[in-house]
Amino acid sequence: MIKRVTGEQLLAIGIILIGLVMAWQIGDIPEEAGYAGIGPRFFPSLVVAGLIVAGGALLMQRRHRNGPDTILSDGEDDTEQLEAEEAAARGEANWHMFIIASGSLIAHMALINLAGFTLAGTFLCFGICRALETRRPALDLLLSFLLALGLFHLFKTLGLNLPALLPGGVL
Amino acid sequence: MESLNALFSLGFATALTPANLLWALLGCTLGTAIGVLPGVGPAVTVALLLPVTQSVDPTGALIMLAGVYYGAMFGGSTTSILLNTPGEAGSIVSALEGNKMAKMGRAGPALSTAAIGSFIAGSIATVLLTLLAPVLAGFALQLGPVETFSLMMLTFAAVSMVLGNSPLKGSIALLLGLGMGLIGIEGQSGQSRFTFGLLPLIDGIDIVVVAMGLFAVGETLYTATYENNIVGRIESLKGSFWMSKDDWKRSWKPWLRGTAIGFPFGTIPAGGTELPTFLSYSMEKKLASPSAQKEFGKGAIEGVAGPEAANNAAVTGTLVPLLTLGIPTSATAAIMLSAFQQYNIVPGPLLFDTNPELVWGLIASLYIGNVMLLVLNLPLVGLWVQFLKVPRPLLYGGIIVLATMGAYALRQSWFDLMLLYIIGVLGFLMRRFDFPVVPLVVGLIVGPMAEKHFRRAMSINEGDLTVFLTHPISLLILLVTAAILVVPPLMKRRQALLDGAR
Repeated sequence: MIKRVTGEQLLAIGIILIGLVMAWQIGDIPEEAGYAGIGPRFFPSLVVAGLIVAGGALLMQRRHRNGPDTILSDGEDDTEQLEAEEAAARGEANWHMFIIASGSLIAHMALINLAGFTLAGTFLCFGICRALETRRPALDLLLSFLLALGLFHLFKTLGLNLPALLPGGVL
Repeated sequence: MESLNALFSLGFATALTPANLLWALLGCTLGTAIGVLPGVGPAVTVALLLPVTQSVDPTGALIMLAGVYYGAMFGGSTTSILLNTPGEAGSIVSALEGNKMAKMGRAGPALSTAAIGSFIAGSIATVLLTLLAPVLAGFALQLGPVETFSLMMLTFAAVSMVLGNSPLKGSIALLLGLGMGLIGIEGQSGQSRFTFGLLPLIDGIDIVVVAMGLFAVGETLYTATYENNIVGRIESLKGSFWMSKDDWKRSWKPWLRGTAIGFPFGTIPAGGTELPTFLSYSMEKKLASPSAQKEFGKGAIEGVAGPEAANNAAVTGTLVPLLTLGIPTSATAAIMLSAFQQYNIVPGPLLFDTNPELVWGLIASLYIGNVMLLVLNLPLVGLWVQFLKVPRPLLYGGIIVLATMGAYALRQSWFDLMLLYIIGVLGFLMRRFDFPVVPLVVGLIVGPMAEKHFRRAMSINEGDLTVFLTHPISLLILLVTAAILVVPPLMKRRQALLDGAR
């Protein structure tokens, strides 16, 4: 019987992958004997083993409404039904908004050294407002700008250097 | 009585200097504001303030951060009661009855019983902290690296098993935190680990970036994706503001019972305020008079008074292991620990000898902070209600700008902004799939400490792993740890409570 791969199982695979990448990186840590045989590789090895085992357990886990982490025989699996119920309670995911929020953050990352803190911050704040479906974009754009400008000058007086667009540091 | 002597001669002398009073007031005010704003908790605030406090003297900075932690707990109840969206985990229960009371036009008494209960619980818990901390610190002085490591194992087990719905997910969160903590130069051997050849990773991942990523960016991504259509309705403050005679009569016992539940829960490493507030709620429900029992679910004042007291007592309780053992048991306490580390101060038993002004000043400031918060929250509550009117998009936009600024200011590098986003996506996924985040934060901070103690224990005992079992105190701690891992009765009871509370 082929079962649909749930989001949680994808996540479990991701966790195992993180474990494997870390395991591969452990090879790069120079192994000194250290005191009493406990070197800098010891703890990482424990964490890697833990991640792979726990990820595996999450992958195999069948969920049941009677409680978390109950491992049940095949027939009693209500993972799918539970997922459907939870999805209904959570509401439809609006990935469009996720992308707008993510895009704003990434653009801010790219812009901050080019356009300075104030403009990048304005763009970011406004982007987040859009992602949260603001009903008054024009006002939010203005307030975003004022907020970013205010923070820029506040922290400049406090001695924190933020990148500016203009050499004089007004913006 | 030595501790009372130290409290009055050192503590209040330190806390009552104008500068420190100002820091306490600033912290309490900021904390209340943050607590009131939905979606922002004390962990983010303390993390945001870390870079700012670098140039402030340690005592003042820590007094302020403690004020923020405290204030957020006071302020959180306002949001729960008026808006039914708890700002932090400890206020979830207050929303159950508190919001119902507000809907019936009894918002005033609900807010009053929350504020006065928080004040009483906070004050009693601070007295207990004053008396207990030096005793516990004296005991903790006898703990070597073996026992300390075992204690940290206990902390790991408790935070990952008890919090959230699934011990497995808690463990994964803990392991992710431990993994992140490994990144960077390893102290003992000077080897770099998991840096992938990237220079900025050599210093490790900063707690500021992790806290902002998980709590601010992750939360915003989640809200944008799933919660755009949820409209909050603010209940208005109408009717009598003060509690009636009957309200007082029904509140004082829950306050005291809440304190009795909250404080011990704060001191044990079970991750803060969520558990004791639920316990207090169900206890009040059972103990209430028959007529009051009928009100449960429709706005019973006992259901606000008890949990709010438990909440604040637990927050004070978390300071006990933080100050005496150097072990944080909640996300905010973990970030406060990194504030200590920022000043090269190691919290733990020696703190009472090496930095008595700081530690007693901090404790004394809690008494003062409690009074400040009572004033800030009772007569001035109308002011904070205005904060609830900030439109959500703009609120989150502002939080994100502050978060990115905090991350960027660390090293003036876009690399931290990228880390912030990546950890934000991780926080989003954890929120989406119900992973608790506290184990991750605790793992990140305590992990490197645990490794250090483990290796120290090994080098003292020539690599003999059995020392953890042959030292009696260590054995006892590990037995308790095993009990937490093997016997999950707490989990089941909590589940029953959650079901009962619904």
